[in-house]
Amino acid sequence: MEDIKRIAEKTKKTLQGAGAQKAQFTVTEKEKHEFNVDGGEFSLFRTLFDRSLSITAYKDNKKGSAFINQFDDSSINSAVMDCIKSAESGIPDEAYDIAPRQEAETFRDGAYEPDMDLFFQRTRELMKDITERHPKIIMEQMIVSHDKVHSVYQNTNGTEFESFTGAYSVSLMFSAHEGETTTSFFGSGVYTDSLDRPFIELGSLEKDLSDTEAQLTTIPMEGKFEGVIVLTPGSLGGFLGSAVSNFVSDGVILEKTSIWLDKLEKQVADSRITISLCPGDSRIVCGEKYTYDGFRSQDYDLIKDGVLKSFMLSLYVSNKSGFAPAKNSSFSVIIEGGDTSYEDMIKNIKKGLIVGRFSGGQPGVNGDFSGVAKNSFLIEDGKVKGAVSETMINGNLAELLNNLVAISRETTADGTTVLPYMAFDKVVISGK
Amino acid sequence: MLEDHVSNKKALFPNGVHTELREQKSRNRRVSLVQGNLTGNARMESSGTSARVYQNGVYGFSSMAECSGEAAETVLKAAAENALFMDRHVGRGKEPLPIIPCGGIPLSKKIQDAAQKHYIEFAKELDSYITAHCPKLSSRSVVAMEDSMEKIICTSDGYDGHICAPRSYVYVFLNSETTSGTPIELFVPFGGSGTFLENFTDPSLCYSKIDALYEQLMHKREGIYAEAGYKTVVLGGLMSGMLAHEAVGHTVEADLVLGGSVAGPALNKCVASELVNLVDFAHTAFGKPAPLPVYLDDEGTPAQDATLIKEGILTGYLHSRESAQHFEAMPKGNARAWAFSDEPLIRMRNTAVLPGKDKLEDIIASVEDGYYLLNSTNGQADTTGEFMFGINMGYEIKKGKLGRALLDTTISGVAFEMLKTVDMVSDTVEWASSGYCGKKQPMPVGMGGPALRCKVMIGGR
Repeated sequence: MEDIKRIAEKTKKTLQGAGAQKAQFTVTEKEKHEFNVDGGEFSLFRTLFDRSLSITAYKDNKKGSAFINQFDDSSINSAVMDCIKSAESGIPDEAYDIAPRQEAETFRDGAYEPDMDLFFQRTRELMKDITERHPKIIMEQMIVSHDKVHSVYQNTNGTEFESFTGAYSVSLMFSAHEGETTTSFFGSGVYTDSLDRPFIELGSLEKDLSDTEAQLTTIPMEGKFEGVIVLTPGSLGGFLGSAVSNFVSDGVILEKTSIWLDKLEKQVADSRITISLCPGDSRIVCGEKYTYDGFRSQDYDLIKDGVLKSFMLSLYVSNKSGFAPAKNSSFSVIIEGGDTSYEDMIKNIKKGLIVGRFSGGQPGVNGDFSGVAKNSFLIEDGKVKGAVSETMINGNLAELLNNLVAISRETTADGTTVLPYMAFDKVVISGK
Repeated sequence: MLEDHVSNKKALFPNGVHTELREQKSRNRRVSLVQGNLTGNARMESSGTSARVYQNGVYGFSSMAECSGEAAETVLKAAAENALFMDRHVGRGKEPLPIIPCGGIPLSKKIQDAAQKHYIEFAKELDSYITAHCPKLSSRSVVAMEDSMEKIICTSDGYDGHICAPRSYVYVFLNSETTSGTPIELFVPFGGSGTFLENFTDPSLCYSKIDALYEQLMHKREGIYAEAGYKTVVLGGLMSGMLAHEAVGHTVEADLVLGGSVAGPALNKCVASELVNLVDFAHTAFGKPAPLPVYLDDEGTPAQDATLIKEGILTGYLHSRESAQHFEAMPKGNARAWAFSDEPLIRMRNTAVLPGKDKLEDIIASVEDGYYLLNSTNGQADTTGEFMFGINMGYEIKKGKLGRALLDTTISGVAFEMLKTVDMVSDTVEWASSGYCGKKQPMPVGMGGPALRCKVMIGGR
């Protein structure tokens, strides 16, 4: 491994010598060990050694950025010069800035060094477990890896953060098959720093495999009705990502196209909904330690009891808009469990759909969404009737948050988010 | 330009096993203007060396962020050890890959690297034009970018080559509101294969396309929601290209066929109307360079066109050398890698539905009650062939005439069922190449097609 602190010092000196008035940069070195399974069989073992230097420099209120993965003097000099020249060609804007000096910190998180023997053993065990317990599953692709990352962040206000992180990730893409009958594919995964338990017990892997096998038989879905959708923790994350992007992110606040632009400290969702961004939570593996702008990351509530408490803004858009920057730049979303069991949630639904995956168009800026409910099950009179195919759902993300029916007591923690099942009313569900 | 540190390392290749050694530099230049604010102004480069070794049915791969003879030797050794590890623990006992002819492809293109100022000034010119000529906007964005991959590929058998593939685009995003206050957005990309300096000599050449986009956005301001249901539609060329890529192309990638895609049992069967022909072009299509030409893949296979559907019959899959061996087919250069640290995967190149004989105006005139769908926000498809495309621009068709514009909606269907409903095919092809296909790694691809009359499910509200 390189002495990346030396590279950081070299970069800082070069930036100062080149006339940068402000700057921030991150030096990173990474190692990846990865096993692949394709079509149900082990196919590849790869080991990667990579590094990067990411620089942003400011001169006369202008900004430029450069990214390289070579650490020799000549490459660093030329990246710095590229960065400065880009800044000089730019447009002046007083909103460009970096975080003030933060206390220096060193972070050590996760399993920095992999236990390769146990890791490979767990990987083979996962394949064996899937084959034995879920014989109808064909593993289109399985990627398991350990990523070891050492990085140093510095800025010209004197901040230095150093971090050492390591974690294992498991990513599965699979479908179920019986004769010529095939289900839709489904993706599931977990991120963990522990090899204490078999992979199949983590996150929602086992349930996702079972649900997919249950989708081999589908029932016809005809007509159109307004009903309740139950978003699984997996599909809920996608809906939340779209809502964030449409209503509270940098782009829509800078463009002033967000329909929540004047909703800060106002009710935007059912009062039972609290959405938090918590990279520091113990259930989040190797969560963000510092933001892209150089602030120490802190957990915060995006929506608390239905009230919008923050936008998810960078320092630049914060300075442009006058709203506070987000306290972290992660998507480590946590929604705590509610007071209804998943079983009772289903029992109380007259007619609706459990949506395992949503394959939809990018929702419009107003939050309208429309798409196919994949890996989904019909609910009638409080019972799960069976899997459906070619079923579309449409509604509006902002309205959805105000049409909450229930939040399940059960949550799924996959190492990146902690999410429950959530049921929402007044969604249009239509068959062929 | 990359200096060659790999060609003289063939003597170090492990004996009797297929080996690839690759040196690569990837570059990206990007400028983003949002409401005239310079939100992005970045130049990125990454380079390194990788090796992959195939042993008895399993691969070992290794890469490092360095281009040197020493790096080449290190990754070769590590890849061979990884292949050996896999063979010992999960060996599949397969035969060696069939040998393919040797040859070489020399470098035919060098990159002329534009200064960042050039991108910024070009984007500013377009932004000024939009501000002056598009008064009813709520917001606007302009992105100017170039990306490129330069590779030196060296294989134990097959072709060696030094290839360079730049592409450059400008994206314009325009936002407005409907008369009832609903936010709407449209975007258009300009550009294609080639450097920014080659493709963008004069901002004024983009003005007519910005005008056309603005006109469509104004139509959309008065837009209506499509009526949900199973409808007759005319898919514009960009939409049929997306269909070719997402709903058919992915299902016939041989690794997905082995993973259980619907194309497995469909080979040599009727999957579409006899009017439908579909080809994954390598480097030349309809007598012209394809949008993103590919001459050599990362396994050393020289690229050739792959016919996928001929007169409605599914005739083949897309292959790597390993999958071609499995299916007893010829590899045609579809194994492509994105970054130096990526292994080759089966990818499309320039996938298109072939043109037919109908005129677009006749196709529209033939529709009593339906929709003309022009462009999409995104698309996804399943290995079952079930697809979904977000539609962000289209018009209703009433009694053979175009009517009101549509607000955003979605269409869906099952490819091998929907393609059987195609009963008219236009005589001109539209191409798109500005995005990335996602499949473990991103990859630039071209997709295109003529207008198709067919039936799909359309979502309403």
